[in-house]
Amino acid sequence: MTKTGMIDFRGVNKWFGALNVLKDITLSVEPREVVVVCGPSGSGKSTLIRCINGLETIKDGDLIVDGQRLGDPATNMTQLRTEIGFVFQSFNLYPHKTALENVTLAPIHVRKIPRAEAEQAGRELLAKVGLADKVDAYPAQLSGGQQQRVAIARCLGMRPKIMLFDEPTSALDPEMISEVLDVMVAVAEEGMTMMVVTHEMGFARKVAQRVVFMDAGAIVESGTPDEFFSHPRTDRSRAFLSKILRH
Amino acid sequence: MIWQQFLSLAGSYPLALRGLGMTVVLSLISLVLGTLLGFGLGILRTGGNRLISSVIGAWVDLIRGTPFLVQIFLIFFILPEFGIELDAFTAGIIALTNLAACFICEIVVAGIRSVPTGQVEAALASGLSRWQRMRQVVLPQAMRIVLPPLVGQYVLLIKDSSVVSAIGLTDLTRVGWLVVQRVPNGLLVFFLVGVGYFIVCYPLIMLARRLERRMGAAHGEVQL
Repeated sequence: MTKTGMIDFRGVNKWFGALNVLKDITLSVEPREVVVVCGPSGSGKSTLIRCINGLETIKDGDLIVDGQRLGDPATNMTQLRTEIGFVFQSFNLYPHKTALENVTLAPIHVRKIPRAEAEQAGRELLAKVGLADKVDAYPAQLSGGQQQRVAIARCLGMRPKIMLFDEPTSALDPEMISEVLDVMVAVAEEGMTMMVVTHEMGFARKVAQRVVFMDAGAIVESGTPDEFFSHPRTDRSRAFLSKILRH
Repeated sequence: MIWQQFLSLAGSYPLALRGLGMTVVLSLISLVLGTLLGFGLGILRTGGNRLISSVIGAWVDLIRGTPFLVQIFLIFFILPEFGIELDAFTAGIIALTNLAACFICEIVVAGIRSVPTGQVEAALASGLSRWQRMRQVVLPQAMRIVLPPLVGQYVLLIKDSSVVSAIGLTDLTRVGWLVVQRVPNGLLVFFLVGVGYFIVCYPLIMLARRLERRMGAAHGEVQL
């Protein structure tokens, strides 16, 4: 058995109809590693991380997550998902539940943690993301940045081994981006294995061990943030960087 | 002459009360059963299984596309040909429950489909089972869409229950037919029958309207 990472893509392909959205992806993410995925819109970066928790299925190749092969009949996908936190671009908080209920729902019903204990942990998590005073607020009463921080707390409540972020700051007003990034930096510094689809290059420089650049469904380039931002090796990554770093 | 008819009608009030009682009992039982069954069918219909979903879809279309009177005749007069004997009350309950379930199924399906995909994905991603996703995330949000037309459907169901008089159940409508044989003033008699139905239905109509307003306001809809 070869050594496997926490997340291991081996020759993964995926099609949407005739469109090859993931082309022969091979990528291994080590435990405690933070990988930032960037690339132009439509390059397949969201699809890539959505495959990891089975929100999308792969066509061929192997995808091994936490030692379990996806699509294998022996792999219990629901069980595996409890080990993977997923933060969405549009937050997707449950609008009919308070911040605290959003955080405690899965711990109570999936992990079977007693309610009092789950609520205690939930309050601590909300305090950790700076929302101790918003425990009983409904999502509609929170700003975008606050909602996204609740969403991160909701993932942390499951004590996952992996956290995936799908453009977590793209739907936010500029002044709210840093409050979310700060929380993500704190999570990264605690040693979480993370894959983050983002164009926030400051975040990438600060915490990522690796930046992966995708274009048209393929991984075009991969390297440390320093290598990638200072010495991009391909024309496509140079063109992409000149667009997002212009301002 | 009118006065005498009134007196004679007043004498029939025990019969009228019995009829009203029968209408309410029939409606209530099939409303409860139809709601349970309708939610079950709606949930199954939106579940992953294609076969189950299309079988339910076909049945719902069939029931919605045929007159209720025909359905009730089939259950009461045709089923005995195949050895299934039902008394009128049971036949009425079955027919009404089935009708309610089919309409409610469609209402529930519309409600479930109105819940954004992101909600289901969030629930999936946190490892909730299929039933937990439905119970904790999808249904509570679907109820906002479901509740107003659901109560509206109850009103239709109560009125549709008048058709059971055709198989001899003494509901409010049949009481009208019986009374009109003694008091030959159809206009007056059936006016009173109509009032009876209205008294039962009106609170529900008000409830539906209030729910509609509250559900809209709770979600910040623009007041026109």
